[in-house]
Amino acid sequence: MAINVLERRALMGAIAFVAVSLGLIAYATWGLGINVPTCIPLGTKPFDQASVTKHDGKNYEVHFVARMWAFEPAVLRVPTGSTLDIYAVTKDVTHGFLIAGTNVNLMLVPGAVANGRVHFSKPGIYNIVCHEYCGKGHQAMNAQIEVSDQIADYSVEGIPASAGLKLLDEKGCLACHTVDGSARIGPTFKGAWGTTLHLADGSTRTFDAALFEQKIHDPTAFAVTGYPPVMPPIPLTDDEIKQIEAYLEGLQN
Amino acid sequence: MELQKNLERIILIELLVPLTLFIFGAYHGVMQVMYQSGVIRATSFAGIDYYQGLTAHGVINAIVLTTFFAVALGAAVVSYELKSRVSIAGATLALILMLLGAVMAAAMIFMGKASVLYTFYPPLMAHPLFYVGLALFIVGSWVPFWTWIPVYIRWRKENPGRKTPMGVVGIFATFIVWQLATLPVAFEVLAQLLPWSLGWTPGVNVMLSRTLFWFFGHPLVYFWLLPTYVLYYTMLPNLAGGKLFSDFAGRFTFMTLILLSCPLGLHHQFADPGISTSSKGFQGVLTLMVAIPSLLTAFTLAASLELAARGRGGKGLFGWWKNLPYFDPQVWLFPYLFCGLVIFLFGGITGIVNASYSMNNVVHNTAWIPAHFHLTVGGPVFLGILGGSLLLITGLLKKPVVSRTMALTVPYVWMVGTFVFSSGFFLGGLRGEPRRTNLGLTYMNPASPSYRPDWWLATHMGLLGGCIMGLAVLLYFIVLVRSLAAAPDAALAQAPFSLPTSKPYHDEDIAAVQNFTPWVAAAVLLCVVSYYAPVRDIVKNGITTAPGFRPDNPAAVSTAH
Repeated sequence: MAINVLERRALMGAIAFVAVSLGLIAYATWGLGINVPTCIPLGTKPFDQASVTKHDGKNYEVHFVARMWAFEPAVLRVPTGSTLDIYAVTKDVTHGFLIAGTNVNLMLVPGAVANGRVHFSKPGIYNIVCHEYCGKGHQAMNAQIEVSDQIADYSVEGIPASAGLKLLDEKGCLACHTVDGSARIGPTFKGAWGTTLHLADGSTRTFDAALFEQKIHDPTAFAVTGYPPVMPPIPLTDDEIKQIEAYLEGLQN
Repeated sequence: MELQKNLERIILIELLVPLTLFIFGAYHGVMQVMYQSGVIRATSFAGIDYYQGLTAHGVINAIVLTTFFAVALGAAVVSYELKSRVSIAGATLALILMLLGAVMAAAMIFMGKASVLYTFYPPLMAHPLFYVGLALFIVGSWVPFWTWIPVYIRWRKENPGRKTPMGVVGIFATFIVWQLATLPVAFEVLAQLLPWSLGWTPGVNVMLSRTLFWFFGHPLVYFWLLPTYVLYYTMLPNLAGGKLFSDFAGRFTFMTLILLSCPLGLHHQFADPGISTSSKGFQGVLTLMVAIPSLLTAFTLAASLELAARGRGGKGLFGWWKNLPYFDPQVWLFPYLFCGLVIFLFGGITGIVNASYSMNNVVHNTAWIPAHFHLTVGGPVFLGILGGSLLLITGLLKKPVVSRTMALTVPYVWMVGTFVFSSGFFLGGLRGEPRRTNLGLTYMNPASPSYRPDWWLATHMGLLGGCIMGLAVLLYFIVLVRSLAAAPDAALAQAPFSLPTSKPYHDEDIAAVQNFTPWVAAAVLLCVVSYYAPVRDIVKNGITTAPGFRPDNPAAVSTAH
């Protein structure tokens, strides 16, 4: 016994509906280029430091780090017309990453890197919200991307520096010494660790932990040729000295 | 016929215990819209933390209430339709395991040791007893089905050539889906989460956990829906005063849902890393296929209602809609099923949005999602459970349903509530409002730098709708308690226990939908095809394991012993 003719039409109608829907999805995916996130076969450990890298023009690669209960960076400013390649990881539990008003909607799962691309053609404030429950502070976990006609290049807030750099800043060291290679009253720290220093008294010494600690404990003991002997005493604990040394060592290259 | 006395007692416990727990579940539903709209701006109220209450809301309403109802309805339908005795030992064992599991999980939630929501995603870590409770509950729910299989096989031998009663087809479809779907989540809980929460393993592969969970999580929604489909296909046409338009449609729907329940859970993970777009796309296509049995169901039920209405004197192309028993106290159950269907229409349409692959980018994990599923599990499923429970409880106790006018008002109030609630949440979701978030502290707090005034309307529609839904629940419990307190009816006591089962109008005899075996085999095969690639990717890509975290502490739980 065959099925009723009206019912057969309803069944055909349902199949046609599914076929049309699938056609529209295919058009959105390949025609409009809107896709969902895929595998990133890194084969390496996910990064743990947030960063922004400028490629060419207005193309930026942004590494977001999520943790309970903040995003790093917390604020990212880019010029209108920028395209962002976003990579995002979590340091602890699963977090969500939705840039409202865009097609970037990612899950940040421990052990994996999430990836999305977004182009900002209009200026404005784009809110990033964590939309996966991540513990008691979940409702306070958000960030912003500010897209503006007024700026030429990017800037960020809320990427915490390493402990050593933070100490150099807090203790006032950066008033005289830079970490980017430029000269101020004192010599730059960039690339200095492990090199040979020419001292004002004519001798030479290697920039190492022993030299650094002597200089901290007795700032007038020696001075580098070409720089005035004006370094003040800086009160640092042994732990703080270790943290700064670790940072300076990392500044070698 | 009469059911076995012991079975009747077990069914009553299986209905009344979860309904009692549901008072807490519903209470925190109302509390949630208060927190989210900023009426309450606090981490906790009356001793219950927001996320703790949210966990209770999800676990009690979506897992405990729904599973107990499926088991209770299943026992009644199988025993009544097959005119057979079922194993009391099996039913008792199931009841003990499920009660123990539910109480254990609920205790951990109320002690604040398991505020991990009903999805319990690692690496958020709950107390080991929460996982033990879940495992006991799931394993317990398997047992009754195992005892019904030999009963059914015997019935088929004794009734050669007879079609399996539609209700039994539906109940077996429900539990075949459940059995298939719960194996991976049982593995997740017992092999991954439990040893990890006990400190026996240092970490858990979170991507694997999520994938196992959603292998279960999507068929879970069909497991919720299928008992309600049983009510729709077996009772709705009869309650309307007519017949089921097509017998084939019911069998086809149940069989295709066996086939298409499990192999498409990845559409909940469209936004996840570590799974290729081809795996996601394949399961996305399968997901849309579910629209075929759903649309056929919509057609068949509408045709059955039209048939019934015309039998009651309905005329005209659309005029017959007026001739249905919307407010007839004699068939108070009709509006529970009818309103559920109306709600489900919108639940289905919005579900197609979620399932539509790239469109999911707009709505994933936003308030849109709870807006959608409060029109499915919170619509037809919930109203089916309320109506079905009242039918079974009063039927088994031989008591009349008291305050019938109030009883039939409940689904209409609920329907208005869900529409207002979900409209608000849809709106918020499209504006990026996250789901399951204590918005009142930050996003709905003018004093916070995160304040989002553009979510005000959305959250306040949620507040209004949620309160109306709360009112419907209150009315329901008044009816239930008054009916329980009523004296048994002498006339009812004479009549044997019966279910208001419909007869078919077109009774087609199509062999392809009369046998479970090929459908179950195809379902298992499709699961393997569908999940081989993503699981291989997750294992092969060397995703590292994660230590556990408590919801209140950003430092990892130390697993050193």
